[in-house]
Amino acid sequence: MKWPTLAWRTWRVARTGVFIWGLYKWPSAWQAWGEGDSTHRDRVHERAAQAVLDCALEMRGVIIKTCQAIATRSDVFPKPFVEVLKQCHDSVPACDFTVVRQVVEEELGKPLDTLFAEFDREPLASASLAQVHRARLLDGREVAVKVQYPGLEDLVGLDLTNVQLACRIYEYFDPQPIALLPLLKEITDHLEMELDFTREADNADRVREIFGEGEGVVVPKIYREWSSRRVLTMELVEGIKITDATALEAAGLDLELVVQDLMQIFVRMIFAAGFFQADPHPGNLMVQPNRDTVVLDYGLCKQLPDGFGMGLFELLFSMMTVNESAMVRAFTELGFQTADGDTDVLLMIARRMIGRSDTGRFEGEFTEEMTDELFEAIRENPLVDVPTDFVLVGRVFTFLSGIAHTLGHRANVLAAMGAGA
Amino acid sequence: MSETPLHTDHLNRSSDSRTDYSFEELLDDGQYAEPLIANGVRCHGGFDEDGRYRSPRTRHRLPAIATWQAALQESGGELLEISKALIPPQYPNVDQAILLCRHGVRDPVVRALTVISVVEGFGAVIRDVKLPDFDRSLVEPIEGTALAHLGQGLFEAHARDEAGWGEQGGHKQMWEAARDLAFENPKIPQDVLMRIMGGGGRRARKRERLFPQIDETLESMIMMLSNVLLVEIFAEQVFSWGHAVLSNPEISAEPDRASAMVSYIQSDENPHVEYLRVALSELAGRTIRTVDDKTLPGREVVFGMLHALLSQMTRTRPEEQKDQAQESLHAALQGLENRQSIEEEFRSLETVWAPPATTGFEPLSAEL
Ligand SMILES: Nc1ncnc2c1ncn2[C@@H]1O[C@H](COP(=O)(O)OP(=O)(O)OP(=O)(O)O)[C@@H](O)[C@H]1O
Ligand SMILES: [Fe+2]
Ligand SMILES: [Fe+2]
Repeated sequence: MKWPTLAWRTWRVARTGVFIWGLYKWPSAWQAWGEGDSTHRDRVHERAAQAVLDCALEMRGVIIKTCQAIATRSDVFPKPFVEVLKQCHDSVPACDFTVVRQVVEEELGKPLDTLFAEFDREPLASASLAQVHRARLLDGREVAVKVQYPGLEDLVGLDLTNVQLACRIYEYFDPQPIALLPLLKEITDHLEMELDFTREADNADRVREIFGEGEGVVVPKIYREWSSRRVLTMELVEGIKITDATALEAAGLDLELVVQDLMQIFVRMIFAAGFFQADPHPGNLMVQPNRDTVVLDYGLCKQLPDGFGMGLFELLFSMMTVNESAMVRAFTELGFQTADGDTDVLLMIARRMIGRSDTGRFEGEFTEEMTDELFEAIRENPLVDVPTDFVLVGRVFTFLSGIAHTLGHRANVLAAMGAGA
Repeated sequence: MSETPLHTDHLNRSSDSRTDYSFEELLDDGQYAEPLIANGVRCHGGFDEDGRYRSPRTRHRLPAIATWQAALQESGGELLEISKALIPPQYPNVDQAILLCRHGVRDPVVRALTVISVVEGFGAVIRDVKLPDFDRSLVEPIEGTALAHLGQGLFEAHARDEAGWGEQGGHKQMWEAARDLAFENPKIPQDVLMRIMGGGGRRARKRERLFPQIDETLESMIMMLSNVLLVEIFAEQVFSWGHAVLSNPEISAEPDRASAMVSYIQSDENPHVEYLRVALSELAGRTIRTVDDKTLPGREVVFGMLHALLSQMTRTRPEEQKDQAQESLHAALQGLENRQSIEEEFRSLETVWAPPATTGFEPLSAEL
């Protein structure tokens, strides 16, 4: 790697680090912290997060992925911080076309026009690691080509060192430091997976197999001949964005059924198949006029360990029937651990979560409020070890609940399971 | 169904022939001399001084149902009956299940028992059934009927019986206990939820409206009541199967205790069948006001739904069950030396069953 890049990236992160350091160090900030003035403290968090976000958008890659990961871990990070970082999902600027062409040609080993009959210069979308272009194969098939930003893999090591440094600075200054380094390890593991598009292709094929023909789930076909580690060519699919209620209704779709379909698809993957697409944000979901559900983006998929689905079912079930000893058993089964084996903490967490549901009773839906409360409770009781799988699944349910609410319905997990029973 | 609809011999009905009950009363347990502990898990219900099992939440619920049924018949109403000939057999049947266990192939039976327990647990959805505005959609009043008490404790009691409530297990936990007693805490096959939710071609569907002229909430409530009633009645085969398998000392480690559990569950189901029967009968004897202010005999709607459901359940369901069971059998026999001979014997034990030609709820025109 050229040293100017290296120096620049390090400098950019260091600058942000210093800024945040100043923010938190500022006497008034500390004072407010001590006095527990939460609005002021929130504002400090917000400003710090904004600085991190600006840095991330400029640098993409690991840094942006780290931010995305932070944005999903409200069990670890302060809420105002998380709220700001959620923006890094939809505001990544696109790369120049010459760069895109270069990556495709390098990866597929042929000039672009011998591979594609057409290739749009403007991307359909640009995200953290890649941007997606519409194109046409020589035989006329329309495709979406996902092209990874160049140099990401090389940058991973460097950026990681920088992020690690930032973590250390943070740990030094926070009176109650969060253990960031293990989290970072997890993020890099996921990142390495996401950077390899052949893996994403395998994931897509695997999810497609879970659902049969005519079950109303569209997983874009992968064209392996035009794909590699950094280029993924797939069938171009169309549909209405799942949160666009007006457009869905204009197409004559019943919103309640759209939600039920969506729920059944994810419940089926998580509980029945034990393998699921772990990133159902609204940008990755579309609905076709015949009500088929399009699920995109298999970069982050997860295989659940044996027995996880049953354990999760038992947890939801025990919450529904307010059976506390069964809740504790289920939590333990799922891999939750307390420092001294004291299960009261788990009970307290369950009670707090149930208390945040709309009716004060758990009826099968994980609302955002409940997940927030769960993570809040966990954060306040750092002696609890939370299994990553659970966090990922909880996040999926929260996304689904958010989508359901946008469409004016509910995302009842137990009801979706029961619909098949 | 028998002529004496409800076994209330141990209850002193004459002392209490009220037709109105509070929510709390319909959930009241009464006193037990001893609670029911199933394989170490506290379950609902318990035993009286004579050691007889008493179902949960029946102190007032049983006499109430008996009174509503009597009142219906005294006023000339008809208590509807479902012919037992319509109940399809359980698959694999008792002999087949025993054959498999005898060869050490226990997975299909353990799986079947687990599926039963989970499905029982989902019975709790009955509490989410929306009630229509009866005053608006029925011509006759409903005071003092089972219908008036559906949301007043009957649904909730039913839900708790099935799924358990608080620290007390319900049928879900009782089936689990029976399974774990008989098979000594077996390993649970990983694909149970797959079996329950799998089965291709499932997508959310708006229920087809059979009677679009009536209030939608009323129609879906009647559909739900009919559906659950049939499931409860069809469960009779599941009970006799479970009882026979779990009480067989050759394959069950705890023949008495495991099969007793099934008997307790079965007796708890009795009030479910009976309140649903009387509520649907009350509806059938009333007049429904349609959305465009015309009227329609309730009988037409109730019988129409039962007929539609029965036709479907007696035909496609047994086939589905059979396909699934055969699949799991196939997987379980994989790699066994004598698998061919087991498979042959298994097939020779098959129960031959065909649904009767009529459901007993044919539309009037067909009856003529
Ligand atoms: N097969 C396809 N057909 C049509 N559009 C597609 C297809 N694949 C991706 N897109 C579009 O490109 C966008 C980005 O794709 P994708 O989500 O796979 O990228 P990503 O880098 O993993 O994004 P992120 O992780 O931020 O969600 C999608 O939201 C969608 O709008
Ligand atoms: Fe039951
Ligand atoms: Fe029942």
